[in-house]
Amino acid sequence: MSGKRTDTDDSTEPRTDDISEPEGSEARRAVRTDGGSDTRSDGGIVPQDDQAPTWSERKQRTQGLSRLTYEYFERSRREDEDLRRASDYVERDVLAFPTWPHEMIRNLAITSFFIGAMFFLAAAVPPHLPGPANANSTPAVILPDWYLYWSFGLLKLTPLNPELALLGGEKLVSDRVYGVVANLVVVSIIAMVPFLNKGAARRPVEEPGWAALGVGGVVFAFTIAALAVKNLIAATFPIGNHELFDVTFLLPLVAAFLAYAVLKTMREGYMFELNRRYFRLRPPK
Amino acid sequence: MSLERKDDYDHGAWMESKDLSPIEEVYLTALIWLDRRLRIVDYLELLEDMYYKTNLQMPKSHTEQYNLDNKFWYWYPLYALGSFSTIAYVVAAISGALLGFYYAPSTQTVGGETLRTVAYSNVLFIMGDLNFGLFLRSLHRWSAQVMTAAVFLHMLRVYFTGAYKEPRELNWIIGIVLISLTMVFGYTGYLLPWSQLSYWAGQIGVEMALSIPLIGEWVAQLVFGGFTLGEATLQRMYILHVFLLPFVVTGLIAVHIGIVWMQGIAEPH
Ligand code: HEM
Repeated sequence: MSGKRTDTDDSTEPRTDDISEPEGSEARRAVRTDGGSDTRSDGGIVPQDDQAPTWSERKQRTQGLSRLTYEYFERSRREDEDLRRASDYVERDVLAFPTWPHEMIRNLAITSFFIGAMFFLAAAVPPHLPGPANANSTPAVILPDWYLYWSFGLLKLTPLNPELALLGGEKLVSDRVYGVVANLVVVSIIAMVPFLNKGAARRPVEEPGWAALGVGGVVFAFTIAALAVKNLIAATFPIGNHELFDVTFLLPLVAAFLAYAVLKTMREGYMFELNRRYFRLRPPK
Repeated sequence: MSLERKDDYDHGAWMESKDLSPIEEVYLTALIWLDRRLRIVDYLELLEDMYYKTNLQMPKSHTEQYNLDNKFWYWYPLYALGSFSTIAYVVAAISGALLGFYYAPSTQTVGGETLRTVAYSNVLFIMGDLNFGLFLRSLHRWSAQVMTAAVFLHMLRVYFTGAYKEPRELNWIIGIVLISLTMVFGYTGYLLPWSQLSYWAGQIGVEMALSIPLIGEWVAQLVFGGFTLGEATLQRMYILHVFLLPFVVTGLIAVHIGIVWMQGIAEPH
C-alpha cells in the first residue's frame, strides 16, 4: 500500500508496508493518486479505490477518542496475553458456570413443566372483573395489584415525616412528596448494592451483616405491603393501626437480628470448611 | 461456442455419485438452489465460526478446573428463577397478543349506558362470549403475576448468592430497571379493563405523578395525558403496555441474558 497518507499523516514511523515495493514506486505513486488506472504488478492487496486507507493506516491516523480506544485495546490485549501466560488455567480466567450447556439444559428441561403449571393455575383460578369505572363513587378499598403494595405502603409513611420545630410544626415536604421520594430512595439504595458491598465473598455465612440486611429488607417488603392494606389487616387480625405501624418497622429488625445471630453462629465451623476447600483450590502464591 | 454456462463444478453428477436417500436429495437440491442465489454457504460458515467461538469462550469454573462435579451447590435450583421470568414473559406476550385482537382502548360508552365503556365491554366480551376468552385472560393475568413474583425471587437469589459482585454490577442495575419496568407493565395493564379498580388505581397514579417535585405536572401530562382520567389516559396506558414497554423490556432482557452468557453464572466458592 502506498501514497495515501500524505494528507493527514503526521507520524514519523517508517512505513513498513512500503518495503516490499519495487523500484520506481515513487513515480507510480504520483500517477496513482489521481485515481488513474492501476497498473501495479507487485501482487499486493488492491484497495477498493485510491482513497481507501488500509486498516493499519486507519489505526495510525486516528486521533482523540478513537486513538485512545485503540491504545487501550492494545494494552488490555497485552494484559490478557501476559495473564494467560502466567496462569495455570487452561482457558480464560473467568471463573463461572458456563451458561451453555450447564444452565440452559436445566432451564430447557424445566420449561414445559413451568408453562404447564401456569396453564393449570390459569384454568383453576380464573380472574374476576370489578364493576365499570365510575368517577362519582370512590370504592371503599383502592388497591393496585399485590406486587405494588410495597410502593403503596411507602406512600403511607406520613407519621415518619419529620416536623420541624423551627418551622413551627410545619412539614418540610408535603406527605405526598415524602411518599414518592421514599420510593425513589428505596430503589436507589438497592441499585447501589454492588458498589457498597465488594469483595469475593458470595455465601451469606461469609458476610452475616449483608445477609441480615437482605433478610430485613425482604421482611420489610412484606410488612410495608401489609401496611398498605391496613384496612384489610385490621378487619382480619386484632391489631390496631398504631401497632401495625410499629410492627412494620420492628419485625424487619427482629428478623435481621435473628438472621445475623444464626449466621454468625454457623460461621465459624462453616468458614473453616470453606477456607480449607478454598485454599486447596487456590493455594496462596 | 455454446452460450450455456460451463459448469466446472457439476453438483448434479456429484449428487448422482453419492447414492442419496430421497430426503437427502431434496435437502441438497434445495440447499444448492438457494446457495446459487443467496450464497448461503457464506452465512453458514459465519454461523459455524460463531458457534465455535461461543464454545471456546466457555468460562472455566472451579468445578471443571478441579474436577469437582460431585460438589452440589444446594441453592442451585433457585438459579432457574431468571429463566422462569423469561418464560412467563413470553407466555404473557403471546396471550397478550391474542387478547389484543379483541380489545380496543376507548372510554366511549356503548349501548346508551353511561358506565359501559368500549374497553370494559370488550373485556366482558372476552370473558363471557369469546371461545377460550376467559382462559386467555386468566393466563395473561397469571403469567404476568408469576413473572413479577419470579423476578422478585430472582433478585433475592442474586442478592443472597452475592452474584451481583464484581464483573456483574451492570447486570444488577439492568435488573433494577427490569423489575421496575415489569411493575410498570403490570400497572399499565391493570388500567386497561377500565373497571372501578383500574380507574382508582389510575387516580392514585396521577396523584403520585403530580406530587413529584418540580416536574410533577409535566410527568402527569406525559404519562397520563392530563390531570383527570379519561380517553387520553387509557390510550397512553395502552400504547405503553402494548408498544413501548414490549420493545424496551424485550431488548433489555436480551442484553441482560447476553451479558450472563458472556460472563457465565457466578459461582459460589
Ligand atoms: C425481567 C426480569 C428479569 C429477567 C427476565 C432476568 C433473567 C435472567 C436470567 C435468565 C439470568 C441467568 C441466571 C439465572 O437464571 O439465574 C439472569 C442473571 C442475572 N440477573 Fe436477571 N433477570 C431479570 C431481573 C433481574 C433483576 C431484578 C436483577 C437484580 C436486581 C437481576 C440481576 C441479575 C444478575 C446480577 C444476574 C447474574 C447472576 C449470576 O451470574 O449468577 N435480574 N437474569
